[in-house]
Amino acid sequence: MPSLTLLFGVSMRSAVAASTVSIIATSTGAAVAFLRDRLTNTRVAMWLEMGTATGALSGALIAGYLDQRYLFIMFGLLLAYSGYNMFRTRKTELPGEVVPDRLSKKLNLAGSYYDRLLGRQVEYQVTRTIPGLIIMYFSGAAAGLLGIGAGIFKVPAMDQVMRMPFKASTATSNFMIGVTAASGAVVYFARGDVKPLLAGPVVLGVLLGAVLGAKLMVRLKTSTIRKLFIPLLVYTAIEMIYRGVRG
Amino acid sequence: MTPNVRHEVPKRHEPIEMVLARLLRFGSIIAAILLAAGILSMLLGHTELAPRIITAGLLALLATPIMRVVAAGMIFARDRDWRFAFFCLVVLCALVAGALLGHGHE
Repeated sequence: MPSLTLLFGVSMRSAVAASTVSIIATSTGAAVAFLRDRLTNTRVAMWLEMGTATGALSGALIAGYLDQRYLFIMFGLLLAYSGYNMFRTRKTELPGEVVPDRLSKKLNLAGSYYDRLLGRQVEYQVTRTIPGLIIMYFSGAAAGLLGIGAGIFKVPAMDQVMRMPFKASTATSNFMIGVTAASGAVVYFARGDVKPLLAGPVVLGVLLGAVLGAKLMVRLKTSTIRKLFIPLLVYTAIEMIYRGVRG
Repeated sequence: MTPNVRHEVPKRHEPIEMVLARLLRFGSIIAAILLAAGILSMLLGHTELAPRIITAGLLALLATPIMRVVAAGMIFARDRDWRFAFFCLVVLCALVAGALLGHGHE
């Protein structure tokens, strides 16, 4: 999105609208490959989407009553912390033994997928089901309030809090962001912020890129994907804190 | 390789992942075709037609994740997994409420 405004000099609102539709393209394009490889945990996704959807709704409702500066700083620090956590665990392929909590068992959230690189079936449990939902609520609220793609909060929540394998976290997060972005995109469409001649080429490019990227990801090592994800976390953290401090 | 043992009820239907994958693939193909056709007609100088085709493509893309929640809800309801069907309903209600509120916002 910054590159859209910087490179092409388009108005901020149509850039935001185009980038929101691009997020849907990323999610939809990549989700097919992840679903086929069973990386996506659809049950966890539906459970957590309740958090993001209601969070985004309340975020949109209270936007304007809150000072965004402090929010940017707060979320920036939070991201920096999860970036640090991810750096610490950068070498681990899988989360090890995880004891599921009661709700996770009741909702049957455990999953399994075939890891092509490890050459075996990975079975995993999910824990801290309620804290995960609460974090998703705030991540959705952040998306509604700050207009940022909240996918960046979802991966650490599933990976570090709910202890899901990293690949399952990224695939499930990708699956979920399509719905969050769609709720924003509906509004942009209604307002007429989506400029077809601008958004069309961008979205088509992103769609094709997402299909290819997902095919690549299922073949990569977890530690490699982590290493690609950490700079993204750090960059976003710094940018958010900067926006907060600058005001 | 030991066969994969999963403690699940034997599936009478296709797994939900495969149904949703097919739905999302269908949505992205339709969107991609419309977008490509729109961009092509833009290059050919059909300034009237091009934005309409592209908008149709963008709307197809927008509808895909929403349809995905509807489809997931229907599959959970079919499997009598009422809890998860209810979760899907909550998500849909939040989406509709957001669209209505956002509409009146500006």
